[in-house]
Amino acid sequence: MSGERPLRLGFIALNDAAVVIAAKEKGFFADEGLDVELSRQVSWATVRDKMSVGALDGAHMLAPTALAISLGAAGAEPTPLVAPLALNLNGPAITVASRIAAAIGPGSTADGLARLVARRREEGASPITLAVVFPFSVHNYLLRDWLARAGIDPDRDVRLTIAPPSRMTELLVGGIVEGFCVTEPWDTAAVAAGAGVIAVRGSQFWPRTPDKVFAVTESWAAKRPDELQALLRAMLRAGAWADEAANRAELAALLAQPHYVGADAAVIETSLEDMVFHADGASAPQPTHAGWLLSQMMRWAHIPAEVDIEAVARRVYRPDLHAIAAEALGLPTTPLLEVLEGFAEKASFRLPTAQDHAVNARLSRNPEG
Amino acid sequence: MRVLVVDPDPARAALVAEGLSGVEPLEVRHALLFREDEAALFAPDVIVVASDSPDRDTIESLREATAANPRPVVMFVDRSEPGLAEQAVLAGVSAYVVDGLSKARVRSVLEVAMSRFQLMNGLRQDLEKAKADLASRKTIERAKALLMKERGLEEEAAYRVLRKLSMDTGRPLGAVAADLVAFAGVLKGNAS
Repeated sequence: MSGERPLRLGFIALNDAAVVIAAKEKGFFADEGLDVELSRQVSWATVRDKMSVGALDGAHMLAPTALAISLGAAGAEPTPLVAPLALNLNGPAITVASRIAAAIGPGSTADGLARLVARRREEGASPITLAVVFPFSVHNYLLRDWLARAGIDPDRDVRLTIAPPSRMTELLVGGIVEGFCVTEPWDTAAVAAGAGVIAVRGSQFWPRTPDKVFAVTESWAAKRPDELQALLRAMLRAGAWADEAANRAELAALLAQPHYVGADAAVIETSLEDMVFHADGASAPQPTHAGWLLSQMMRWAHIPAEVDIEAVARRVYRPDLHAIAAEALGLPTTPLLEVLEGFAEKASFRLPTAQDHAVNARLSRNPEG
Repeated sequence: MRVLVVDPDPARAALVAEGLSGVEPLEVRHALLFREDEAALFAPDVIVVASDSPDRDTIESLREATAANPRPVVMFVDRSEPGLAEQAVLAGVSAYVVDGLSKARVRSVLEVAMSRFQLMNGLRQDLEKAKADLASRKTIERAKALLMKERGLEEEAAYRVLRKLSMDTGRPLGAVAADLVAFAGVLKGNAS
């Protein structure tokens, strides 16, 4: 059913590429008659460029990056993408350097870090430097929200920088950064190396944190609907396989290979514990998740206030495409989230009111502007 | 010329250095990995990065974030990816070197990148200034309208009041107008 050349799917070396990798390695793509070539990418900028020019047919992608590329906010011209599948829930964590862990103290809030930030400022010391993997990442927005809840302004009180996931431990050891938010296995890897301590897991302050999606361009999805459905069916089956506790050791061994994630298998297996690929409708792309991410992008002025959050969320996130594939496999339909679950906000977050939510957050942040 | 080459492959840094021989003064530094602090100390005139370097995201975000100190970025690209280089340029890379390029052309590519960068940077600054000027002019219009309404002045007289305020306080007309508009809001109870 494939065209003249294999389908090329890009991924970055992270645990949450598991579904794509398992679909290839466990033969789920082959079962659908698909000839798929996985191509490891080294930076999100390269994934973005390759998607835009069609050098990749689809990719494992940071959910906010898919939104940003569609809006043309992540550099370059807008390339409308669709996300018909969520690749994982949970997985990001905030890790701080062992050196400063004692000063921060226990607890999953950033209150201890806020005290350290204030002390550094009084001493005239250089601000705390924290790294995320890409500006348009759930990591950036989780970290910013975590900081802001403790009264730390992420743009003024600390330095936020960008670094590749696989280099986080090294940067922590070298004192270049003092903390980071990245998806596993790179948090557990830093802990295993004795360099860091996990301050909070995404799942602790937002159970079922969204993270990566599978994305294709809107034009590709329109031109090759049958292949897209076949890809989705294969990845749904791969997600179910990857979720089985009995398969986790095998999955860890698969991911550990140098051409995939390239980290220690035991570290990967530990770091997979928290992650969900399939259970309870985890793979359905929820427009409400996209809405929250867009509202955060707006809150921190990464996208203009004029962007219509609900319209963009519904255009990029396509639970309808997911539902067709799920139905073909006899899987139950996943209900769409009306209210963002588990996320401790003063007011509950709903897609139709996302715009007001974002604009208010932006105003309350910068009253003089 | 100070050139920082971030590339997992040392051969390409050597190509850059050879291609630039004769340029004086010249310092080409090769780094397997990008380190922001080292780069800041070295203060390169141009950064050359391989498209297959994991540090591309870092360098790209620096270009966005450090508006105060931007650098032209040249990218090495593999010729097997048609269109990729053009896309990278759209995304803000100043120029690209197709892998396998002869050393004879390295110098011209870097020079073109630097001049293109200066041009783009100049245009961007002009655009930002134009936007700021426009915003300031709108504020002045609003301040004039306020004065005309509240004090029953003609347009010309309202403008003179603003100009006098500006001269008396030694602050730009736009800033004085913004204050006036803001204070009017407070007095009317619009701001809390």
